[in-house]
Amino acid sequence: MLEIKDFNFSYSNSPVLRGINLNLKKSEILALTGESGAGKTTLALAIMGLLSGQASGSIIYEGRNLLALPQTELWNYRWNKISMVFQDLEGALNPVLTVGKQVMEPMLEHRLLSIEKAKEKTKKLFKYVGLPEGFCSAYPHNLSGGEKQRVLIAMALSNDPEILIFDEPTSAVDAITRLEIIKIIKKASQNKAILLITHDLTTAYQLADRAAVMYAGRIMELGTGKEIFKEPKHPYTRGLLRSYPTLSTTKDLQGIPGKQEIIERGCPFQNRCTQKIADCGKKTPRLKQFGGRQIACLRGGIVSLLEGENIFKKFGETTALKGVDISLAEGETLALVGESGSGKTTLAKCIMGLEKPDGGKIIFQGKETKERNKELYKDLQLVFQNPRECISHRLNVLETVMEPLNIQRIGTFNERKENAKKALKNVELSASDQFLGMYAHHLSGGEIQRIAIARALVLNPRVLIADEPTSSLDASIQAKIVKLLLKLQEEKGLAMIFITHDIALARKISDRIVVLLGGEKVEEGPTGEIFAKPRHPYTRDLLKTAPNFSPETAYLKPPKNRPEGACVYASRCAEAGEICIIKRPAIFKVGMQKVRCHLYSRNEKEVLHAVNTNRNHTVSL
Amino acid sequence: MHINYVNTIKKNSLGITGILLLFFMSLLAFIAPVLAQYSPVEPSTQTLAFPSASHWLGTNDIGQDIFSRLIYGARTSLLIAAGAGSLTAFIGAFLGISAALAGGICEKIIMRAADILLIIPNMVVIILVAAYLRPGIAALILVIAVFGWQGNARVIRSQALSLKERAHVAAAKAFGAGNLYILFKHIIPDLFPLITTSFIYHARRAVFMEAGLAFLGISDPAVISWGTMLNRALDFSYLNNWYWLIPPGAALSITIVSFTFLGYALEETIDLRLGDKNA
Repeated sequence: MLEIKDFNFSYSNSPVLRGINLNLKKSEILALTGESGAGKTTLALAIMGLLSGQASGSIIYEGRNLLALPQTELWNYRWNKISMVFQDLEGALNPVLTVGKQVMEPMLEHRLLSIEKAKEKTKKLFKYVGLPEGFCSAYPHNLSGGEKQRVLIAMALSNDPEILIFDEPTSAVDAITRLEIIKIIKKASQNKAILLITHDLTTAYQLADRAAVMYAGRIMELGTGKEIFKEPKHPYTRGLLRSYPTLSTTKDLQGIPGKQEIIERGCPFQNRCTQKIADCGKKTPRLKQFGGRQIACLRGGIVSLLEGENIFKKFGETTALKGVDISLAEGETLALVGESGSGKTTLAKCIMGLEKPDGGKIIFQGKETKERNKELYKDLQLVFQNPRECISHRLNVLETVMEPLNIQRIGTFNERKENAKKALKNVELSASDQFLGMYAHHLSGGEIQRIAIARALVLNPRVLIADEPTSSLDASIQAKIVKLLLKLQEEKGLAMIFITHDIALARKISDRIVVLLGGEKVEEGPTGEIFAKPRHPYTRDLLKTAPNFSPETAYLKPPKNRPEGACVYASRCAEAGEICIIKRPAIFKVGMQKVRCHLYSRNEKEVLHAVNTNRNHTVSL
Repeated sequence: MHINYVNTIKKNSLGITGILLLFFMSLLAFIAPVLAQYSPVEPSTQTLAFPSASHWLGTNDIGQDIFSRLIYGARTSLLIAAGAGSLTAFIGAFLGISAALAGGICEKIIMRAADILLIIPNMVVIILVAAYLRPGIAALILVIAVFGWQGNARVIRSQALSLKERAHVAAAKAFGAGNLYILFKHIIPDLFPLITTSFIYHARRAVFMEAGLAFLGISDPAVISWGTMLNRALDFSYLNNWYWLIPPGAALSITIVSFTFLGYALEETIDLRLGDKNA
């Protein structure tokens, strides 16, 4: 319906919008999000023809370039064909006219209706936006913010335009009114093309058919609304989502480092991006198709740092890992949860190359790690589960923390010492000479744990695998360490595999959760989803046992032997049926999760079989 | 647990006694040319003299000064102790660590060789070899070391095998450390107390062995040795020559006791319960 092509705009030679390509379709809502200053409103005003500045490119509506039209021609389009709900409620309404008159104004101005009919329509419009008719004669100062917002919507709808632009319609209203407004917008969208400008990501998620994320005058990511906010692929989109509190995400808030700056060359986001490479400073990324959506990133969006495919590990007779797949993106935290013996540590060791997997591939930064060299470990680090043992009794604190730098031969002795001291301060430890000279047996468990963490971080790795890094710490220090790790993630894009049996902690720090049991991945999904809708019976049981202040105590059955070819949870599962002891379930995609359970089988018979059996019937093995 | 070995030994009275005795013997050996008024090898007409102001411990059957021979004998004993002790410890450590780290066929060969040497009574072998070769000091050191490393190598190997699997070695690997780094920065330093103990043990054994061979008369007769002195003295025991017999015996005992005390003290300090008992 409306097409924006290569649109550039600048105010007095400082560019505000660059290379915008967008189109609006009938009965579709396109959401435009991004930080303030991204150029969202400027784009809206440009469509309305309300800007004076240097514009290039074209905005094509009904075959004509709106940018080339004189104001008199634009007048025909404005409000008749394209209208807008302005952001500034107070400024948009005239305080000396009643709101009814103001809603009537466009109809009368364009001489579409007689006064009588216009009054009639105004009443209808008020009803449409959920205001009582009597409000027609009210003055703007009589109305609340939400009511003013509705008046503005009524005004925008007055000439029944084809294109409707909403600029932050929900930012000034409370949650209940917000829902009402969302309903109105949805209703209006049925026969109109809607451009919804909002920094409120949940509104965008609830309304948008498509969404575009803008940054510094460029579109960074464009895709369907449902996908873009559930699985952001551009680092900026992810940053936005992480800074935005919602009830469906559980991870602690993280911001985007740095601030928006005018960048002449290269990617506009380069100064805040954690996965920047040399090319980002030279070439400007254009929107390109990457897996079902458009992303403006030279690296193709958030890069995958680590992939494990079908990792097998046997220790004699026992199979510790039965073909586990794992993936980790830049700046992501993956929590590996599960009871002891589920294969969490073995998986970590296989990734680190401390154990040789019996099958499968491990790909780190795009390369399969067959031969492991020193360079690899600069970027891949592990915090061991038992810190006291992983520190040599012959090394003092300084030597311990410096050891990775010595091995990697980074810097001079003094630089190494400074780096080690910095790393110690980062984990809230003293860097005094006295402390540096202490030995492991002089220190408390918490101190040693922090030294182990400092030691792993002193190399500035891209990926940190942390095996129960905070289990020996008291809660206050655990909180500090976890915050430090999240801060490093925010600033440097540190990706983490966080191995823990503390599912409550996993909830606060992870983006995704992988639940392991008996060497198998039984469930995987975004952390918020797993907590909201745990799918695998084991995950559900695990959540019941998580630390909370509830008076009820949940007990899990102890693990029993797990025969080959059965579901790993069959012997303990309250929902197990016969199929569960006969056949190992495949992985099924349920919602946003992947679950290895017969309950979600697409094969109807299997599901029925699993569900119909007596729930209290315990499977004897 | 981090141990400050020097401090711990200082507190150990056995260790202190051992060190003092060893120091005393070493001092005698070191300043032997100053102390000795007579050449230890030059015969004289004054044979079988009773201790006197001119000959503190008398003279032997061919008129050599016993005191001079005693302190020069200390040189031989201690040289062989140091040489054979360190060579045995080195061979044992080298082969033990190699076996543990290399594994595979290399480990098999080394350990089977050690097993073979363990079942052969090496004292007998050394006597036979020495009787055949009539070795000088260097050759004797070599013979003692070549037939003495096996027990040591076994202990070191087993300890290295367990060290190799320790978490702090895994941690070093996780920082990208290569095998050489792990060997020199982690495994050898951790084995050092064990290697030291084996050095002391083998030094003591070498002193004993050298004296024994010389006593049996199957070493190089040109070497001044307490064993030879004892042998000769016994030939003349009907003359009631205690002044000739006792000093080398006492010196030998003191040296061996000093090494033994030091060894005990070290073992107590380290408490690895890995005393090298099977060599």
